[in-house]
Amino acid sequence: MQATHPLRLILSWQCAAGLLTLTGCQGQRTQSALHPAGPAAAAIAQLWWILLTVLGLYALAVFALTLMAIFRRGSKPLNASTHHASSQAARFPGRRLILGGGVILPAMILVPLLLYSLSTTTQLRMQESGLTIRVVGHRWWWEVEYPEQGIVTANQLTIPVGQPVRLELTSADVIHSFWVPQLHGKMDLIPGKQTAFWLQADQPGTYRGQCAEYCGLQHAHMAFEVIALPPAEFVAWLNQTAPAASSATPRSDSLPADPFPLQDLAPESDGDAAQRGSRLFLKHGCGVCHAVAGSPAQGEVGPDLTLLADRRTIAAATLPNTPENLLKWLADPQAIKPGVNMPPTEATPEELRAIVAYLLSLDRQGGADERSE
Amino acid sequence: MSDRNDTALREAWTSPSGFPGWLSVVNNRPLGVRFMVTAFTFFLIGGVMALLMRIQLAVSENSFLGPEWYNRLFTMHGSTMMYLFSVPFLEGLALYVLPLLIGSRDVAYPRLTAFGYWTYLFGGLLFYASFLFGKVPDAGWFAYTPLSSSDYSGLGLDFWAVGLSLVEISGIVAAVEMIVTILKLRAPGMSLNRLPMFGWAMLAAGLMSLFAFTTLLVGTLMLELDRTAGTQFFNSRHGGTSLLWQHLFWFFGHPEVYIIFLPATGIVSMVVGTFARRLVGYTYIAVAILVTGFVSFGLWVHHMYTTGLPELSLGFFAAASLMIALASGVQVFAWIASLWGQRPALRSPLMFVLGFVFIFVLGGMTGVMVAIVPFDWQVHDTYFVVAHFHYVLIGGAVFPILAGVYYWLPKITGRMLLPWLGQLNFWLSFVGFNLTFFPMHIIGFLGMPRRVYTYSPGLGLDGYNLLATVGAFVLATGFAVLLIDVCYSLWHGKPAGNNPWGGVTLEWTVASPPPAYGFWELPIVNQRLPGETTPETPEGPASLARKPADQSPAQRAGSAQRANPAQRAVAALRGQPTQWRATLNSDVLTAAPQSIQYLPGPSYYPLLVAVGLVIALVAVLAKVYLVGLVGLAIAGLAIGGWLWPETQRIEQLRDSPLVADAGLPTLVSGRQSLGWWGMVCLLAILGTGLLAMLYAYFYIRLYSPQWPQEGLPRPDWLPFGIAYGLLLLTAPALAWAGHAYRHQRSNQIQFALTTVVLLTAAFLATSLHALVQYGVSPQQTAYGSLVALLSAYPWLLALVGLALVGAAQRQLWREAAVDDPFAASQLQIVSLYGYFVIVAGVLVFLTLVVPL
Repeated sequence: MQATHPLRLILSWQCAAGLLTLTGCQGQRTQSALHPAGPAAAAIAQLWWILLTVLGLYALAVFALTLMAIFRRGSKPLNASTHHASSQAARFPGRRLILGGGVILPAMILVPLLLYSLSTTTQLRMQESGLTIRVVGHRWWWEVEYPEQGIVTANQLTIPVGQPVRLELTSADVIHSFWVPQLHGKMDLIPGKQTAFWLQADQPGTYRGQCAEYCGLQHAHMAFEVIALPPAEFVAWLNQTAPAASSATPRSDSLPADPFPLQDLAPESDGDAAQRGSRLFLKHGCGVCHAVAGSPAQGEVGPDLTLLADRRTIAAATLPNTPENLLKWLADPQAIKPGVNMPPTEATPEELRAIVAYLLSLDRQGGADERSE
Repeated sequence: MSDRNDTALREAWTSPSGFPGWLSVVNNRPLGVRFMVTAFTFFLIGGVMALLMRIQLAVSENSFLGPEWYNRLFTMHGSTMMYLFSVPFLEGLALYVLPLLIGSRDVAYPRLTAFGYWTYLFGGLLFYASFLFGKVPDAGWFAYTPLSSSDYSGLGLDFWAVGLSLVEISGIVAAVEMIVTILKLRAPGMSLNRLPMFGWAMLAAGLMSLFAFTTLLVGTLMLELDRTAGTQFFNSRHGGTSLLWQHLFWFFGHPEVYIIFLPATGIVSMVVGTFARRLVGYTYIAVAILVTGFVSFGLWVHHMYTTGLPELSLGFFAAASLMIALASGVQVFAWIASLWGQRPALRSPLMFVLGFVFIFVLGGMTGVMVAIVPFDWQVHDTYFVVAHFHYVLIGGAVFPILAGVYYWLPKITGRMLLPWLGQLNFWLSFVGFNLTFFPMHIIGFLGMPRRVYTYSPGLGLDGYNLLATVGAFVLATGFAVLLIDVCYSLWHGKPAGNNPWGGVTLEWTVASPPPAYGFWELPIVNQRLPGETTPETPEGPASLARKPADQSPAQRAGSAQRANPAQRAVAALRGQPTQWRATLNSDVLTAAPQSIQYLPGPSYYPLLVAVGLVIALVAVLAKVYLVGLVGLAIAGLAIGGWLWPETQRIEQLRDSPLVADAGLPTLVSGRQSLGWWGMVCLLAILGTGLLAMLYAYFYIRLYSPQWPQEGLPRPDWLPFGIAYGLLLLTAPALAWAGHAYRHQRSNQIQFALTTVVLLTAAFLATSLHALVQYGVSPQQTAYGSLVALLSAYPWLLALVGLALVGAAQRQLWREAAVDDPFAASQLQIVSLYGYFVIVAGVLVFLTLVVPL
């Protein structure tokens, strides 16, 4: 942006002031719009500092004038008990003040601001991109799909640093809103409509996002993470992840006739805990709602779990993805996210541990059930 | 004046006390107090809800309130403040103060005011009845679809929609009241350019309310139809769209905040005018108010910047949203100019005005910020916006309301409030407010969205939230101080006298509290500030109207004839009439007296109509639709009783000696009559309703790949054409009736009106038949729903029209003399309505049938 020298000084002062007031460790600011990590958020943050400066000065001027109006003594002493009878007849002295301060000065501020904002909007237009991610909002989780690569996951997006990524957003139920403050503004997910958006991170890192349109009971716990990897690492991630998913039965294809032939399951006394867990996973009906590529579990109600072990968080970024948290979540999701659609898993603690072992094996290398074959 | 005997006049105007008389009160001041007390009670309840929410949010991952209760509380807090407090309180204040300000004894439609109060009260009670059933609304105060549809929300949303419908009706009715009162009942000489600024503000707010509330009423109706009747207006799975709800809602929602803000600026102008002893830039302020009102209808999409609308459209609304700031700027600078150098006393009313300036200007700055599209993309639906709207609403409305309370409560109660408690209240409120809401700007930037019952500990939000909670309790303490002050002053406050502040507007010329009749003698106004002394009128201009008490009757009669028409009218109405209630009806622009306006006394009809409506709506809630019909019947009958001409009363008005004394008629027709103006307002409302429905039709069409949807057939032009053609034929029949009236041919009038009745009945029958034959279900597609809705509208209007024509016909049949203002006005009003229904029908027909 072409800025004149004084303006640059003011802006840099503002940035310093802003950083001083809001400095904290990065971990504390992963959802801060004023700590931009991408070009879109940076453009908006710059817009903010200009707005704050210009409008802040105008507001201070109005306050100063108001205080002066109250405390200044007028040039002609007025009798307190009668009114200035000529106040109507005379051309009132305040006309210049009213028009100047209330119309002309604000117009001189607002018109350039409008033009600047239009130019920022142009900067934020959809970008050409080689990578498309489809995000579908659900109550209360995010379905994430890389259609061209056949990757399906949930509540976590992995993107390359330095490139715009195209997002196609829609909702399966009510209106949600996709918002990663460090990277961009927000865009709504509207049922029956597809909204187009884009994201770009210019630094590697993990950026937190949250649903920003009230969507019911657990709107407060509908968050997600965007992981930005340097380009080489991203390509590696893509190559490692895609095969695991491409071996999956595509979503919404025909389900097996009876996905849970319980009577055919081998007895649970087989050695490996994760192996046992995969059978328990099916036995306890988890596959009714969740899908795991390459297994009979093809449910579409809840998040796809094929890549669960690669996720840093669970329950839509509500908890870190650790064995303890998984255990807690499986045992009673309602205690963590009351009202969520997932019922408690009626299993013994030992069975739960086995299922957790299975879940923790669901990563890019394929699940425990696949590896053993 | 202490020796005048006002017993008779007082008796004519005294409201019945005790039960059940209390249910029939129609006087503006008791009703105004009721509105204010009810609204303030809701405010306190909403405030307690806010405190509970702040306790939950004081620390991260708190467990004071679970998601269920938190979501209900934020919904009810917003709904209470926006629907049950802000507009009703200002309405109550205006009801009380405005007639005094303009020199009238009451408002234009006292029974309508009573009806407005009952519907408001019942609507509010219905909202809260949801608690009794454990089904509290929890979809937010703006209830976006599909979250608010029956798929995702239970009975609580029906309580919301039904309670809101009643409150909307109350708002619409109050708007009509304000508009016609301000235009028609001003004291002689108070031409429009001498109207006190609070009058301009209420006029603008009233005009805006007609269009805004009606749009929301249509939207709420459509939502309730989706929820209970299976229509698909907002369901994208069957051709509808959830964005339609947002458009309809915000077309109301944005003007709504200016409907709240403009009366508040009116209060500020009055307080500044008194404390600065001048109001500089009258014309600028009045123009700014009207411009704000008008432009506010062009901003609504700034609530929808993140919904993926086209860039061009966003840019337009951004530009408009910025430009409206200029109108507000004019007002702020006019107040600064007024105060400049005047060394005003910093008493409680002015302190709250200063607080308003500081807080509202900050809110206006953040308003400019969020008007800017890319910036809003970051802060929309975050606590930054929560901060913004609390700055503009608490700063821009609550602080002026408090200023108005300190300013006018002495007039209402006759007692002063305690100055030091007022100062304490101010500082607690000002500091508490900023402590609560300033940090919210920051936590919005740090990533805290709106409407979250808790937040993550690792985001740096904790400290600011705790600060905000502390501030909320400080703010609450300020309101506690206010309550203590008001209660104390009611019993022990210093007597206020007529004019404790040295004001120069008309309300300060009557006693505190004013007598039941308001003005013993209506004032004549010949300058903008009637109480201001000039060299020609050292005792104030009103003294010109007063005749010395010691003139002989002959002298008085002689001087009455030499007096100008205004003086003659005012003299005739001094202490009169005592057998019925009256004020002066005057010209819209010049306020020259036109007639002696009869005003009705106590009546139970308003309550009965409200009760009937409530029964009908509760029946919808409980899904016992037959009971709903009973409720509608009760309401219909009560309206009939209300509007039924009282023959004896009309005789009394015709034969009144006041006509000769005042040189003015008691019955008028045409643009002079209040009935005509009321009908024009009603047509504005009905027209807005039609436009909202047509908007829905064309909006859904715009986003439908196929029209009609799913290849459904359009309504067939022949059966629908016949039906609407019959309706169209009532136009020449109505014109014939008017022509016959002007030529005093009573037989022809009867023929013409009978023709209208028959044609209307034929329309009702044929259009119903055509619709049934058309057979497309309103429940399967949005297209079907729209056809049904658009067809039902003129049908219902025509049904009501049938009753109106019948009533007019009866009145004209009874009247031997055709040349009578009352009969003339009946025919005019019914004709206006009839022409409107015809236009509505034609528009609906063209929309549905023409294959464009």
